[in-house]
Amino acid sequence: MLRIPIGERPGWQARAREFGFGFHTMYGEPYWDESAYYQFSLEQVERDIEDPTGEIHQMCLEVVARVVADDELMRRFRIPESHWDFVRTSWENGDPSLYSRLDFAYSGKGPAKLYENNADTPTSLYETGFWQWLWLQDNVDRRALPLQADQFNSLQEKLVNRFRDLQFLTPGRVLHFACCKDTEEDRGTVQYLEDCAREAELDCQFVYIEDIGRDAEGRFTDLDDRVITWMFKLYPWEFMFREAYGEYLGRNNIRWLEPPWKAILSNKALLPMLWKLFPDHPNLLPAFFEDELDRAGAFEALVKKPIFSREGANISIVRGGDIQSLSDGPYGEEGFVYQALHALPQFGRNHTLIGSWLVDDEAAGMSLREDDSMITQDLSRYLPHAIV
Amino acid sequence: MKRTRHINLDRMRKAAGSRFILRPLALGVAAALVGCAPREEVKVVSSVDDCVDSTRMDEQQCEAAYKKALAEAERTGPKYRSEHLCESEFGNCRETGGGMWMPLMTGFMVASMLDDRDRHYGYYNPVYRYSKPHSNYYNRLMTADGDVIGRYGKTSYTVDRSSTRPKPTVSRTVSRGGFGSVASAKSSWGGGRSGGWGG
Repeated sequence: MLRIPIGERPGWQARAREFGFGFHTMYGEPYWDESAYYQFSLEQVERDIEDPTGEIHQMCLEVVARVVADDELMRRFRIPESHWDFVRTSWENGDPSLYSRLDFAYSGKGPAKLYENNADTPTSLYETGFWQWLWLQDNVDRRALPLQADQFNSLQEKLVNRFRDLQFLTPGRVLHFACCKDTEEDRGTVQYLEDCAREAELDCQFVYIEDIGRDAEGRFTDLDDRVITWMFKLYPWEFMFREAYGEYLGRNNIRWLEPPWKAILSNKALLPMLWKLFPDHPNLLPAFFEDELDRAGAFEALVKKPIFSREGANISIVRGGDIQSLSDGPYGEEGFVYQALHALPQFGRNHTLIGSWLVDDEAAGMSLREDDSMITQDLSRYLPHAIV
Repeated sequence: MKRTRHINLDRMRKAAGSRFILRPLALGVAAALVGCAPREEVKVVSSVDDCVDSTRMDEQQCEAAYKKALAEAERTGPKYRSEHLCESEFGNCRETGGGMWMPLMTGFMVASMLDDRDRHYGYYNPVYRYSKPHSNYYNRLMTADGDVIGRYGKTSYTVDRSSTRPKPTVSRTVSRGGFGSVASAKSSWGGGRSGGWGG
């Protein structure tokens, strides 16, 4: 695994416009950065990222099975009691999932270490599945990369195929896509999923989360008063559970993507549960609930993470009695978990995080994010990769 | 190969300004979204007799199809809060049980391919004749969700396959805005984020 400088494609900004990639620059800072790429060997990709991704996903499903069967664990995962049936039923029915992203610290040597699982609302999907794919294609075409250069990235192909399967499992329903207003990044992610779904010949509609309505029977409706029966929402389950329409969840006939049982996977309580069920697994970092910290004495430094948080918010480092806050944010009221500190590898001044994507239960590709600080956040730069 | 084998770039292109199309009518007339969606030929029939004359179905089958189309119209048809709004777009309207107004069904689609007989849905979608004067859609036939299938008066039409699928139920929305409050509260924290609730 090397960080290799490469010339930018001439006029790539125009190409981004052509393909509707509007958020490559945010607040005047580059988000998409193609002045360098990360080079991997095939063995690094397959042995160290792809295989562990599939295995960890199965371990995560084992955690879900344990949690739904245990009231005490449902409480630890901060699933509101009024929604226990909703979450459990979706698991027992085997409601199908679409995609997720595992975040790893990996330097090219040794096992990748799992930071967390973005199983409910992962973003940077378009950049990964399409835009970095196009970057590779363009650079091979102009001979800036060798002809045999490849990329761990079958995301788009797998998404389209998965939508075909989902249509088969969910016949006769229109799929509504939803995200919040005023977020170009989220809208772009959802637009991409709509493109993939249309490629699979699904009937799609779009509605903003804030515009969702309900009729007298408690069925959700879009702005044209059409009843929603199947919905992809780029919006966290833990928010929906606590909002005004949360009381209708489970009472109306809707199939959800991601399914409600994903509320257990996108939850940082997953980390100490994984460590309990699979102690000393090479891809896991030791992790603890707040009331188990007496067992964490052997670790010099712990990273304190909110049970619910997005994009690296509210992270701090605990060394003995000393707490150093690394990022602020609006999260933390539901409590915290603690994970043994394992710093991201550095390439020059860059701290680099690997996102490993799954479509359903299949490893499907890789994305890389860089930051000047130890914490990867929403403005961290996205760099492409190549297998050479 | 560890990457997607082929992506049809033409289908990934976004023409400038057309990225998020707003639907122009209350009903929502869809612009032609994708040029190369799979298409199929359908007959549009206006009555049971018409159905018997112009399709391979017999009278009993046509009678059943007609009843099914009427039920679909009741469930999925465009609904308006006043008679006037409905008539301004579709001419002839009737009141529904729920105090709304909806256009009379002009006819219904029957798949013309024999092998489509096996399909248990998508057969009998109702169609409506749009009749607002001076509109670009004047005298066009459309499905309940506003997909234009062609000019009124032909016996067969070539349509996107999506037009033959069942349409969503249309209901009366009694409130909106029950989702989104947590995101809104957290974003007012204002930590310089770009917006977005993914991760």
